[in-house]
Amino acid sequence: MVKSDNPKDNPLEEELGHLIQALSAAGRAAMLGSPDALLSSIVEAAARIFGAAAASILLVNEVEGELEFKVAFGAGSDDLAGVRIPLNQGIAGYVAMSGQPIAISDVAQDTRFNQDFARSTGYVPRSILATPLLAGERVIGVMEVLDKINAPSFGMQDIELLGLFARQAALAIDQAQNIENMGEALLISLNRLATSDPEHPLENVRAVLQASPDAGSGNDLLKIADLLNEFSRMGEAEREMALKILGFLAEYSQGQRRMSTGAGWR
Amino acid sequence: MIDDSLPAYSQPFLPGAIRELASSGPLAEITPEWAWGGSTGKGVKVAVVDTGIEYDHPAVGGMVRGGVVVEWDESLEDKLRYDPDEHPIDVAGHGTGCAGIIHAIAPEAELYSVRVLGTNMSGRAWQFGAGVNWALENGMDVVNLSLSTSKKDYFAMFHSLTDEAYFKNIMLVSAASNFDEPSMPSLYAALFSVSSHAGKDPFTYYYNPNPPVEFGAPGIDLRVAWKDHGYVIATGNSFAAPHIAGIVALIRGKHPELTPFQIKSVLWACAANVRKA
Repeated sequence: MVKSDNPKDNPLEEELGHLIQALSAAGRAAMLGSPDALLSSIVEAAARIFGAAAASILLVNEVEGELEFKVAFGAGSDDLAGVRIPLNQGIAGYVAMSGQPIAISDVAQDTRFNQDFARSTGYVPRSILATPLLAGERVIGVMEVLDKINAPSFGMQDIELLGLFARQAALAIDQAQNIENMGEALLISLNRLATSDPEHPLENVRAVLQASPDAGSGNDLLKIADLLNEFSRMGEAEREMALKILGFLAEYSQGQRRMSTGAGWR
Repeated sequence: MIDDSLPAYSQPFLPGAIRELASSGPLAEITPEWAWGGSTGKGVKVAVVDTGIEYDHPAVGGMVRGGVVVEWDESLEDKLRYDPDEHPIDVAGHGTGCAGIIHAIAPEAELYSVRVLGTNMSGRAWQFGAGVNWALENGMDVVNLSLSTSKKDYFAMFHSLTDEAYFKNIMLVSAASNFDEPSMPSLYAALFSVSSHAGKDPFTYYYNPNPPVEFGAPGIDLRVAWKDHGYVIATGNSFAAPHIAGIVALIRGKHPELTPFQIKSVLWACAANVRKA
């Protein structure tokens, strides 16, 4: 049979897609609003409390080896969202790679400091305080505040205080990413289940979904989702294990079906 | 309010917390003049494992002799690539800041840039470890480590690197994390662990007899070299470690026969809070 890539041609796949989306949306709703709105309010609060001219959050994109501005507030923040910088360069890059906070000032003095950054934002800061966003031991981003008003530089107390904001932001980002990752993992595994029997595509999943028309399957999925989420919060090793378990589950289920249909190994 | 705010691990070096310690016997006879008086660090090789060193920055006075870039490379079996770096650059500024502090204290010490910050997040602790290993294999005498990892998975790797350095007579100087978190390799006893005090004099450092950090050196609001021939005012334990690395280079230059534990004793005897009983 020819498998179509278009979900429209495959009602069940479409249905699964909707289910996953609903799941993600439910997770996000549980986070009191969209993550971006929450992050925006965190950087704005940070900027105001520090008396800083600007504040922003950058997220690590491991695949591309880049940092991407997620939200920004204050001077030079227009159109900053989406701007990318290499993960191993500059002050934000240093903070992401070292996992350490840094407070520096007089940055524009005697130096061509961060000209690229200045070109992209039209704004050269005088002082910077940057701290990593940590999910457990993993650096998921960088939060920075620029130019403390009424003070030449940021001090150690500012580093500690920004750490508190960073923890909030990291929690929000980590939760959002977990939900997204989990949704993807579920989708992949369910797709594998669904497409594993070439004679009767999706039959098995269809059966599961139809067995409980009162949204029971949705509840089951949510339970699985909850468990996986719990795992993924524990750390990288657990996250990998959760993915392996899903993989095994899919393989086991395929094996069961082969035995029951007598199709054998191909 | 600098007085009550220092990075985590620096609390023993708050002005009110520094303990007065007494030395006695032959160790009490050791003075800074004996330890490093007249030394320039000549002949001592110092590696800075960091973001690189800008080789032509005025703050390093032309003393950068080369180095290596450690990259994470998925195509290789052990995933690590070592690219020789004859004229090193600094991708952030941090390593140049550290190297400048060492050069100011030990102006004739030879500096080597070991750049370990790449773009791969999952490879970074391995790159860090590989950078330390490069320093151990390439004849370095002193290694400045103004970076750390909190990942317990790497406890064993850094422990064995630290012990290897100790038995090879190589001085590892390691900054404690600025956060209150596991800080490897600074937590190992075989190396020189450093956090910040709020003073500015480069030769004033304190000894802390209680774990986990033994030495406190300047690390708050310091003018340090930065990338693109620049200078910034910076804060962090990162800048305390190179003060001790510089002094260790001076001692090593004058007394090449001393081993890590002997140099540690010399540092203890010359610390600002240790006085003859």
